Amino acid sequence: MALLEVQGINKAFGGLQAVKDLSFTLMPGEILGIIGPNGAGKTTAFNVIAGFFPPDSGTIRFKGENITGLRPWDISHRKIARTFQLSKPFGDLSVLENVMVGGFHHQGSRAAARRKAEEVLQFVGMAHQAFIEAHNLTATDRKRLELARCLATAPDLLLLDEVVAGATPAEAADMMDLIRRIRDGGVTILMVEHVMRVVMGLSHRVLVLHHGVTIATGEPRAVSRDPTVLKAYLGVQHVQPGNP
Amino acid sequence: MDPIILGVAVVNGILLGGLYGAVALGLSLIFGVMRVINFAHGTFLMFGLFIPYWLWQLFGINPYVSVLVAAPILFAVGYGVQATIIAPLFKRERAMVLEPLSVLLLTAGVGLILDNLTLMAFGPNVRAVQVRFASTSLWIGETLSINVPRLIAFVASVAIAVALSLFLSRTDLGRSIRSTAQNRDAAALCGINVPQIYNITFGLGCAVLGIVGCVMVPFYYVSPTVGLAFGVKSFIIVVLGGIGSIPGSILGGLILGIVESITAQFVTATSAATFSFLIFILVLFFRPTGLMGLKV
Amino acid sequence: MSAHIRPARARTYAIPAVVLLLLLLAPAVIRNEYYLHVLVGVLFSAYLASAWNIVCGYTGQLSLGHAALCGIGGYISTLLFINIGLSPWVGMFLGASCATAAGVFVGYPCFRLRGPYFALTTIAFAEILRIWVDNTEEVFGVELRGAQGIMVPLKGQSPWLFQFTSKVPYYYIIIAMLLVVMAVTFWMERSRMGFYLKAIRADQDAAEALGINSTRYLLTAMALSSFLTALGGSFYAQYFRYINPERNMGLDLSIEVALMGIVGGQGTVLGPVLGAFLLTPAGEISRGFLGGKLMGLHLVIYGLVLVLAVLFLPKGLIQPIRQFFRRDSGGAQGPPGTAGRQDTRAPAA
Repeated sequence: MALLEVQGINKAFGGLQAVKDLSFTLMPGEILGIIGPNGAGKTTAFNVIAGFFPPDSGTIRFKGENITGLRPWDISHRKIARTFQLSKPFGDLSVLENVMVGGFHHQGSRAAARRKAEEVLQFVGMAHQAFIEAHNLTATDRKRLELARCLATAPDLLLLDEVVAGATPAEAADMMDLIRRIRDGGVTILMVEHVMRVVMGLSHRVLVLHHGVTIATGEPRAVSRDPTVLKAYLGVQHVQPGNP
Repeated sequence: MDPIILGVAVVNGILLGGLYGAVALGLSLIFGVMRVINFAHGTFLMFGLFIPYWLWQLFGINPYVSVLVAAPILFAVGYGVQATIIAPLFKRERAMVLEPLSVLLLTAGVGLILDNLTLMAFGPNVRAVQVRFASTSLWIGETLSINVPRLIAFVASVAIAVALSLFLSRTDLGRSIRSTAQNRDAAALCGINVPQIYNITFGLGCAVLGIVGCVMVPFYYVSPTVGLAFGVKSFIIVVLGGIGSIPGSILGGLILGIVESITAQFVTATSAATFSFLIFILVLFFRPTGLMGLKV
Repeated sequence: MSAHIRPARARTYAIPAVVLLLLLLAPAVIRNEYYLHVLVGVLFSAYLASAWNIVCGYTGQLSLGHAALCGIGGYISTLLFINIGLSPWVGMFLGASCATAAGVFVGYPCFRLRGPYFALTTIAFAEILRIWVDNTEEVFGVELRGAQGIMVPLKGQSPWLFQFTSKVPYYYIIIAMLLVVMAVTFWMERSRMGFYLKAIRADQDAAEALGINSTRYLLTAMALSSFLTALGGSFYAQYFRYINPERNMGLDLSIEVALMGIVGGQGTVLGPVLGAFLLTPAGEISRGFLGGKLMGLHLVIYGLVLVLAVLFLPKGLIQPIRQFFRRDSGGAQGPPGTAGRQDTRAPAA
């Protein structure tokens, strides 16, 4: 059974149709990448799925349940977690405390939340930074922290919004590795990304948006050769087949 | 309700309202440009009332002439407060948008200090300027009389609003101020000295209060406690009219003036304040951008 | 949480524990009722500031209308006492319940307003209430007496009616109440609710995306704070045996309470208490000893303290004290959620 079914999502802002008739399904264990040139509507689509704002029309079903228009916290309780394009750390809390906020997700015990948080920090490789205040972290570490916070809520679906933006190639490779490990742990992943190498290397399938319209879906290799896609990007050159 | 009494109330409401609008102008400007909530706004108006009062009391100078003294003094005070007390906060928050509550608290503290220093220096007694023309009236028809100083104040208020609008749209300095309001970093990149602009803006906002104080003093009482009430009124007007909008301030002022005037016919003056607060709350809940302003 | 108390924490608790001991023993030593009266005043302010802190310290919103809640509590318990003879011990909880309802009712639309607008709206609501009470002689047959205020009838020594002839019982009651508020704050801070509130304060969107229903938690904090503040109002009525809109619901009281919380240190257990201990005596001295000759001096001092706090100690006076204790214990990183934090810069208030 499909984990996530998106059907006919439309979202307009004023006169601008940001997302038009978006439909796709996501199977458990998949990594789906959403790509597209700037202004393609990726983040809008993302925010609609994440419940940040409701679509004008269309439905979103998660594990068969209609979750369209639910508030963000209700979506989180259904085991969907998301990161933000511009990281939003809880600045005056420590890294550990940040992740503990996620750790309280299913239960109210501080000790249990702390244990979960420590576990997650170990998993993402930030255990040594546990007591640093979040606003002192580098940009990449903040993204990693956001990921950790999400993982502490034990999600089934993880929505990643440009999680390698601004990363060096080494950092990006680390992040890709982390994402693979997360997926191997049973989490389905939907990622919006700009960095071709990453999204093509990680995704099982890719969906291409252009001016809010889906212009191609399929395996990365096929999509990267699709003339419509190439035209939209005005010359996509740096796609590497297979994993980097 | 006698229509003539109502009519007089409305007229007085308009006259006073225009004045309120002018008072609120400075607040709107300061917030629009710098995102600073100036809780000491009323205090500066109080200064604007005291200066012409003392000039009249000690030297017999006509309040309208005192504008030439009050406006520059208040400009300097505003400039100084911004440059020495508020600017450090900006420097500290350099990387991010100014934390609005810090500024609110800071200006509130400044207001507390200045209000009460004045109270300590001059005592709580209410004073008044007695000028000969204070009770002259203009008669319209047989029944409607308009108090001349209030009319002058109204005209002056509108003139200030127009002058400020023109200044902001036609002069280089005005343009610099507007661009800083829209995007502080871009303005800086264009060579605009942003801290200087902030100082000037704050000074300007206070200078307006200097002028308003002078035209108010012939018919309004002078007391150290005046600040708080006007500060609160100014906030209500700015929210009503919309932040950063000059016509909005005047419009908001007019509405507040008329509402105050009319409700004062039915309930006690203090109760009338309730309606002002209610309007404030309703506007914030249902139309937070105000009647003409930028986004809240 | 481990039962073993680390050295850092033990040392941090030592001073407050000593102060508490001294306070508990004070009436045995202090015979002059005036000084006891001042202490009750300080403790009462500390109580109100701590109750205020429960919502404002942890949500990052500034309420300048808390006096209204205090007044509601005081008026309701007093009116019930005068009109139907209900003991204030019971009446105070009824009053607190009303205040909680009011707080939640007002808070619900207000929390969506940002910083200064929230503050201004709380002022507006509180003033509307005060003005109404000020101008109302009676309502539904119940005498409110408007600006004149209400005197609580003197019953002499009647503990059941929350009246004592000596100040000493009141003194111990307010200490107990203060300890309760501090305990509630302490518990809340370390619980899920505390974490969630701090998350909402830091970034509401991110908090909501992590499953936090921000409205629910903000209103819960508001309810808690309102309830406790109103209990304080009832205490005030019973202690001073007089309430009126100006003193009990006025902006002055709201500002004082907020000031103590801010200057002392919002979002901490000891901060507001510290703020109260510092500012109340300063107020008393400049008000009382200078014989009212320099009217307004205490407010100048308050204003000065506020300006200095915002510019130099935005996290409150408690901050350097905490730093001192942490350095003292070898700079050990404390367990999260307590005092264990390294500040490398001074963040905004």
